[in-house]
Amino acid sequence: MSTITDITERYDPGFRSETVRYAWYGLLAVLLLVGGWATWRRLTVGMASTNLSSVTPWGAWVAFYIYFVGLSAGAFLVSTLANVFEVEGFEQIDRDALFAAVVSMVVALLFVWVDLGRMDRMYYPFVWRQPTSALSWEVHAYVAYVAVLVTELYFSMRLDLARVAARARGWRATLCRLLTLGRTSTSAASGRTDRRWLKRTGLVGIPLAIFMVHGGTGVLFAVAKARPYWNSGLFPIIFVVSAVVSGTALVTVLYVVRTKLIAGDAVDRDLLDRLGQLLAAFVVTDAALTAIEALIAINSLHPHELETWLVVLFGEMSWSFWWFMVGFGWVFPLVVLSKRSWRRSPFPAASAGLFVVVGIVAVRFNIVVPPQILPVMEGLPHGSYVPSTVEWLTSLGIVAVGLLLYSLGAEILPLKPLESTPHGGDDT
Amino acid sequence: MSGTDEPLPSVPDDPRREALDAMVDREALDPRDELEKTTYRTDLGIAMAEDARRVGRGELSSEAYWQKYDRAAAAEFGDDYRETPNPAVDRAEQTIDDEIAESLSCSVGSMDGVAESLEGVAAEESEGEGDEKWGMVIDLQKCVGCDSCTVACKAENRTPPGVTYNVVMEEEHGEYPDVTRTNVPRPCMQCDNPPCVQVCPVSATYKMENGVVNVDYDRCIGCRYCMIACPYGARYFDFGENYDDEVDGAGEIQSPEYGVDRGPRTDGESPVGNVRKCSFCTHRLNRGEEPACVETCIGDARNAGDLNDPDSEVSKLADSSRAFQLKEAEGTDPNVYYLK
Repeated sequence: MSTITDITERYDPGFRSETVRYAWYGLLAVLLLVGGWATWRRLTVGMASTNLSSVTPWGAWVAFYIYFVGLSAGAFLVSTLANVFEVEGFEQIDRDALFAAVVSMVVALLFVWVDLGRMDRMYYPFVWRQPTSALSWEVHAYVAYVAVLVTELYFSMRLDLARVAARARGWRATLCRLLTLGRTSTSAASGRTDRRWLKRTGLVGIPLAIFMVHGGTGVLFAVAKARPYWNSGLFPIIFVVSAVVSGTALVTVLYVVRTKLIAGDAVDRDLLDRLGQLLAAFVVTDAALTAIEALIAINSLHPHELETWLVVLFGEMSWSFWWFMVGFGWVFPLVVLSKRSWRRSPFPAASAGLFVVVGIVAVRFNIVVPPQILPVMEGLPHGSYVPSTVEWLTSLGIVAVGLLLYSLGAEILPLKPLESTPHGGDDT
Repeated sequence: MSGTDEPLPSVPDDPRREALDAMVDREALDPRDELEKTTYRTDLGIAMAEDARRVGRGELSSEAYWQKYDRAAAAEFGDDYRETPNPAVDRAEQTIDDEIAESLSCSVGSMDGVAESLEGVAAEESEGEGDEKWGMVIDLQKCVGCDSCTVACKAENRTPPGVTYNVVMEEEHGEYPDVTRTNVPRPCMQCDNPPCVQVCPVSATYKMENGVVNVDYDRCIGCRYCMIACPYGARYFDFGENYDDEVDGAGEIQSPEYGVDRGPRTDGESPVGNVRKCSFCTHRLNRGEEPACVETCIGDARNAGDLNDPDSEVSKLADSSRAFQLKEAEGTDPNVYYLK
């Protein structure tokens, strides 16, 4: 099995090219500066810095919030393919998926926070509750879910943390020792304990992620009877499916990028193939369910539903539906992934993933905004919403925070398993 | 703050005031001329009047006054003087009794009686307090679409730009030349099953016992979920905008909504960043007044009152066959009724 030199050699964290590192962190620094300025505007000017109104009270920030909750839930569910269902090859992306899920939740909660009219009161939902409110349940589910994710990441990575702590030197070794929380054994037995608990936590996490975290976020919208476009039983299911689509796509991108830029290994083409097939299947399901939802809505002849769909298809932001949702999210990935040699190659597979990751942003916008354009009663004013500069730039900044957290983690933490044999321990 | 000579804030020291006082003096009649027109003694009348002013200023007790003038007045006015009740001496409470009031055909009855009947009303009200369910009935046949309810509401609640607790929706039916227009005023419906209350994650909005849906500005986090849930579009977010450019000192005071005085309107302080809505002017209801929109309605189209009292006007109107609620299918059961 692995020797000391193997481990320290393979534990070579960080970008392989210094140029790439400087370019990447330079870009993030610019994004963070711009985002920081926008956030300062948001804090000083208040909600008037947005293009939101009383007719359209939810906008870009809410769309990004549900987007990142979905990304997190999706990435988490992909991780369970490795640690619960033990699909061959997936152990390589287990930690990428889990860490991305944690970072996505952080980003999602930052979006919720910046969206609150009273940001100083963000802890109030833990002080006062409302059992009939989906949102009240959601904030608690998010906390439980983040706890599950962090626990899983710990059990998934602990053995390698202990190895690095024992065999490397310097601040990274110290950090890794701290992160083992004192369980520094590298024996096979301790590895088995980790795997057992990883699986148990994953099993708890699956219903939590599907029904509470992302299904629940769908319910949050679906219960709004005043907005018929959301008020359907299928809606939370589409929510979860599109989350799995974006999560699978994200993990594919992260796997390729990390392997190319940080690990410098050959990409596992069988793994790419499996991820690609999964992604294609999820995209088809998502498109089909969305079509069913649209048909039910249009057949209802309910004027509010009909007109909302007209806004989606032909309204001010219909480009986001046709280009991003249909084009980027469905058609492009399906074309790329349908050819075996393409989905087995890193570049086409990663671009299909990236297009989906961007396309699902439009899905989220098309969920949040259209039903708030039409007034809830005839005679009230129509809404009109395109995010303001402050909204776009704060969003960019918050996304940059997520990218920064992920990059630092990918550079410092052993996200790539230190050995190729899955779930190994040192036979000493 | 000391010295009674200092002008009151908000009451400017007007130099014309002395001129006004002089005008009053000029217009006052000369008492001597007036009394000489009567058959009674002028000097007695003037002396009694001057001493009556001293009684009024507290320089002379009313007992001393009557001791001084009782005999002279009896001699001068005779039986009329003895028969006319004198509250100041007849009764400690300085009132006249019902019989005398009757004999003098005082239409309102004795002051005592008036006071007592007022107490009776107050007692009845306090008995009923706590069981009211405030409701509103809006007669669409009487509404002319003048929007004065909207204006009165903005003035009363001092709502900022973009926040309008009451609007009048205009619906046109038919095609030219057979066009009719219905104006539908829309306050908060104060639903019995309010979807906004259902979704609030911090219970900042809730139903009060009097039927009004309250917003606790000290608890609201500004997530705006209630605005998404409201089927009537009755909720507004306070983006912090002001009428400072239009009106001097627009934000110096705020309306004491829900009976809470929040002082001047300040950036970053509630209700800025909160969701706001019509409260049926709870602060007015609490002091026995109608909501501002009801009071101002030029066509008497709006009625407010206690839906729990079967004899109240709103109860009767809400029971009429013309009555309906907006979006009845939503199951929200509004406490605002409309008459077709």
